[in-house]
Amino acid sequence: MLQSRPVPGAPKPYTFPRPRRVQVGGGTVVAIDVPGQLYASVRLVQRSGGAAEPLDRMGVATLTGEALEDGILGDSSLAPALERHGAEWACRVSWDSFVTGVDAPVNRITDATALFAEALRTPALRADDVVRRRDQLVERFALENSMASTLAARSIGGQLFSGRYATPLGGGPARLRALTPESVADFHTSTIASVAGTLVVVGDLAGVDLEALGRTVFGDAAPAVAQPVAAPGTGDGERPRIVVLDRPGSVQSALVLAHRAPSRAEIDLVPAESAGEVLGGMFNSRLNMELRERLGYTYGVGCRFDLRRDAGVFYISTQVEAPTTAHSISTTLAEIERLRSDGANEGELTSVKESNTVGLPVAYSTSRALASALVEIVVHDLPEDHVDRLRAGYERLTAEELHAAAERYLRPEEAVIIVAGDAGELRGSLEDLDVGPVEVRDPETLWG
Amino acid sequence: MQGLVATISAAEQIRRYTLGNGLRLVTAPAATGQVAAVNLWYGVGSRHEVPGKTGFAHLFEHLMFQGSGTVSKGEHFDAVERLGGEINASTSTDRTNYYETVPEHALDLVLWLEADRLATLREGMTQEVLDNQRDVVKNERRQRYDNVPYGTALERILRLGYPEGHPYHHPTIGSMADLDAADLSYVLAFHERHYGPDNLVLTVVSDLDPDDVRDRAERYFGGIPARPEAATAPDPTLAGPIGGPVVDSVTAAVPAPAVFLGFRVGEYGGREFDVMHLASAVLGQGQGSRLYRRLVVERGLAVDDGGSAADILPFRYTPSLFLVSAIARDGIGGDELESAILEEIERLAEGVTEEELERARAVLERDHLQSISGPSGLADTIGSCTQLFDDPALAYTWPQRWNGITPDEVAGFAKRLLTAENRLAVRFSPPAEDDSADESADGAAADS
Repeated sequence: MLQSRPVPGAPKPYTFPRPRRVQVGGGTVVAIDVPGQLYASVRLVQRSGGAAEPLDRMGVATLTGEALEDGILGDSSLAPALERHGAEWACRVSWDSFVTGVDAPVNRITDATALFAEALRTPALRADDVVRRRDQLVERFALENSMASTLAARSIGGQLFSGRYATPLGGGPARLRALTPESVADFHTSTIASVAGTLVVVGDLAGVDLEALGRTVFGDAAPAVAQPVAAPGTGDGERPRIVVLDRPGSVQSALVLAHRAPSRAEIDLVPAESAGEVLGGMFNSRLNMELRERLGYTYGVGCRFDLRRDAGVFYISTQVEAPTTAHSISTTLAEIERLRSDGANEGELTSVKESNTVGLPVAYSTSRALASALVEIVVHDLPEDHVDRLRAGYERLTAEELHAAAERYLRPEEAVIIVAGDAGELRGSLEDLDVGPVEVRDPETLWG
Repeated sequence: MQGLVATISAAEQIRRYTLGNGLRLVTAPAATGQVAAVNLWYGVGSRHEVPGKTGFAHLFEHLMFQGSGTVSKGEHFDAVERLGGEINASTSTDRTNYYETVPEHALDLVLWLEADRLATLREGMTQEVLDNQRDVVKNERRQRYDNVPYGTALERILRLGYPEGHPYHHPTIGSMADLDAADLSYVLAFHERHYGPDNLVLTVVSDLDPDDVRDRAERYFGGIPARPEAATAPDPTLAGPIGGPVVDSVTAAVPAPAVFLGFRVGEYGGREFDVMHLASAVLGQGQGSRLYRRLVVERGLAVDDGGSAADILPFRYTPSLFLVSAIARDGIGGDELESAILEEIERLAEGVTEEELERARAVLERDHLQSISGPSGLADTIGSCTQLFDDPALAYTWPQRWNGITPDEVAGFAKRLLTAENRLAVRFSPPAEDDSADESADGAAADS
């Protein structure tokens, strides 16, 4: 009755679409035409991310990104104007970049981009609006911390770094409160309004005048100037150690195991990412198979490298039933050690290689995904054929390279294990693990 | 207003077939190449559950990944991950959905995997995997409902909106007690009762010739017999208003007071639903919406939610729920916030402008276009429109439903439906200073 299992033939070779580049004034338009894709993504990439903020103005990039939504008339006027075109404002401030733009139907792309450009270059930035946005950010920060997973993730920087990275990207409540409308205006004038940047456009571009879009967005702004990169300092404290963020009554614990990693430019990306995928990146990763599919302690586990221009972080995150917290940690550490000592098996190696080569048509099947790839290329100065080079790297990957990367980049001896959970219930079992000192913190004291 | 993009020509490219066993197949073209999105909508959801068996449809969805007569536990996920594919599933009140998006050359393998678990799941089911996935689902419940603030809101809303014994009285995740009570014989009977090709819509979005896709679907699914008889669901009939105002006031470990209001409105797909969907966008979707303007920008009463204070829970077989929610800012009480929301709801009945409707239509159309802008989302939407309405073309033409709705119609429906008699309220408050929380709580969404 049922047919025998088919074996897929050879996949068609995939090549990432070659973008079209147009120099317009002080900026560059980089575009991918996707015939039939009637919803377009437009992104302006600028380099003014959180890492470049002065220590007395931490969070100013995030606040400015919010305040731009008040538009040229103030009073939250941008979004309603875009909404009438079926368009949506996009803003993502990262450590390394300030990315803004719109998603819009292609037949409204000219109007939507014009609204976006004037909001970006000549916003009202009224004092009342900036204060309202700032106070809302402060209150949202506290609300979001009531989620155990958010609380644990936000505290990573303070455990691993000194300097800017020790404070969350958005600044945290004390730093945000110190920001003024003037500091937002200064940041905007010096790093956003006056810098052309790179404009990414993806969608069905038949009938779209890329030069005109570039003129609209760049105006007479100056070309971007490369910013210096310096390695950040390290946070205090013994490692490894366990930090419990006390959350009385929690029926689950949010766990994060985090340590420093090399920067985006320094890391050997393909073997490192592969080791991470085998450990905890895929559904069939070792940690997910063990903690979820065998022990039933969790709904899921994940891990990733967060790679910046001047530093990196590797972290594993999960949420486990409270009484299983200590065993979940010891299981995680044992799985890291097993991968470091024995490397990946042949099935795991093949799985990582295939999923990162054969699967590229799926990974890049939407405008947003293609636009994200172009943004990454711009932010990290990668070659235009970056995706194809990565694919070639996965095709060449050997078991030895993956094993070496696991040994080199997975560093539990340098880790801080963060537990957002009930300290009273957990402390004894965490001390019994003998991983390192156990420190209990009131979450309210984390943000300076 | 003229539609944002032309959709008629795309709708004409849809092909639909019905196999001899009743399986409905729909094909549509993909905007990007080399990819095949496969989406299955089975006509079974939590509305089929009876008291004492809540959460079963969703638990069953997990078990569909745990092996069959032919495929071992974990193998289905592994096969698709190796292809770099997207794979997951979700359960709602009205349906259970499984999907895989893979490189086109692997379409046959995915069709076979799906046909295999439809035909032979019962042969591979064991007590051990049931026990494991029960633990996983209980942790999903903790993560989404019990360990996050306001997490039990949906559960409480449904309890007030639908009477005891009604199939929409409970959330899809179910109760811990019912999950504990699930036994193997019921699992086997559930598969037999609900999982047949005659209860399945299979959608494939790809660049392949539709007849070729039909031949492949026939090859793998054609030999699977239809169920001897279609399963029946508990009677979802419900007439009239909620009988309100009904209120559930919760004191819990939440960071700020929150207000959730609900009103019964028409079934998903009917004119009343469409009018109230538009009304929800006027009231609380986007930063141009009334609630965002008044409560966030002008009066500073509510936490900035980006313009997402109102929406509809779409139920196909019983009255849907029009929902409004907001979290209070520092120093604002729940009563003050609720009064302010009710003022805006009452004003809706006094009239809306054509300009407001135009913005609301554009917001809803934007969201719709975004949801169908990638192959996975398009396949999912087609599956929905076919399973629930037997009309796949609605996936493209749905926004046209909003074109003929007038301001008077919106005001008239709001006046009739958004009344105290038809209102439920769930209120969360932090404990008073000298009080201790009587429980911890959390928020909710679709369960996957």
